[in-house]
Amino acid sequence: MLIRRRRGWEIPEREATPEHLAFGRRAVMKAAGGAALAGAGGLALPEPAAAAYSLPPVTRNSRYQPDRDITAEREVTTYNNYYEFGSQKSIWQAAQRLPLQPWTLRVEGMVDNPREFGLEDLLRQMPLEERLYRLRCVEAWSVVVPWTGFPIAALLKLVGPQASAKYLRFETAALPGIMPGLRQSWYPWPYTEGCTIEEAANDLSFMVVGAYGKPLPPQNGGPVRFHQPWKYGFKAGKSLVRIVLTDQRPKTFWEAIQPQEYGFWANVNPQVPHPRWSQATERVVGTGERVPTQLFNGYAEFVADLYTNLQGERLWA
Amino acid sequence: MAMGTAKPMLRLFALLVLALGVAAALWAGWQAPLGAALFRLDPGLLNTAQAGIQRHVSPWLWDAVVLPVLEQPVWLVPAILAGLLLLLGALGRRR
Repeated sequence: MLIRRRRGWEIPEREATPEHLAFGRRAVMKAAGGAALAGAGGLALPEPAAAAYSLPPVTRNSRYQPDRDITAEREVTTYNNYYEFGSQKSIWQAAQRLPLQPWTLRVEGMVDNPREFGLEDLLRQMPLEERLYRLRCVEAWSVVVPWTGFPIAALLKLVGPQASAKYLRFETAALPGIMPGLRQSWYPWPYTEGCTIEEAANDLSFMVVGAYGKPLPPQNGGPVRFHQPWKYGFKAGKSLVRIVLTDQRPKTFWEAIQPQEYGFWANVNPQVPHPRWSQATERVVGTGERVPTQLFNGYAEFVADLYTNLQGERLWA
Repeated sequence: MAMGTAKPMLRLFALLVLALGVAAALWAGWQAPLGAALFRLDPGLLNTAQAGIQRHVSPWLWDAVVLPVLEQPVWLVPAILAGLLLLLGALGRRR
């Protein structure tokens, strides 16, 4: 009698996967392998932390032209300064731990109607649009980003600034369990930035809630950040939880640490070097090209008037 | 330097480092991290050091190595250093 012992790899014909399904699965695996290889080569985009909120379609404001190509999304979302998540540029993965929902932004201080906005409220009430802005970092590199957001003037209109309010103080979220940078307990957390009420009233002053048509990822300051493109990037508070209108000039985070290097005004000026490097040129992230830096980062026609009576101030650092 | 003079020098240096640690703890507080004491001494010092290390040595060195040291109590690093110096002196004596 013949006793046939099946080897481990032998299975009955009925258990074999049909040919069309097997080839379909191979196609899927091939695609997945390609994606993995792309990731290994640095080509994959970071996954968003969570679909915290959605943005409606918005139109692009044609008034502000950056005269330079838009930086690739991959560059902007993986090359970041966000000190709360680390002191290197590669913090985007660590930043994914920031919970973007629920999120509230309080606007208070010297206002007639102090308000706390949920993110959805904010998106519903504000006139959203897209703007192409240059962003010039104090470290002499730059990007061009299509931001989605709204002029901060629209937000201020809702709360009604009092006549005595002279400055805005912006506070970033400070979450010790989530932000490893806060282990440096000696620094004056939360990250605080500020500007004058006249600067905030300028149409360029933009509250950002998205980039590249998507919700703003945490590593770029999501869900809501500030941006004044004529100033160095560190002036833009990220992941904002509070805006206070005050008659006192805010002592900003970097001003408290290195006032000679990172002052209150920090307007871009190629003629005024940082104490440790030149500001005459900037490296364009993505291409590596070096281009001349422009006064007020190229926005002088819109903002130079703000500073005509402030010549005694250190406007450029 | 002759071994006979090196050993007392090591012990003296160890005691000086230890005294520095105690003085720093009395000044900043026993629980204060080393980073807090240095920040109080010169607010810009750590940021300048960080920029220098990251630009000229290695970008990861600060977060991975220097920062954990700065988080320790202000007296601990001098105490460990003094202990190592005393140990070095003691090892030299046995030879």
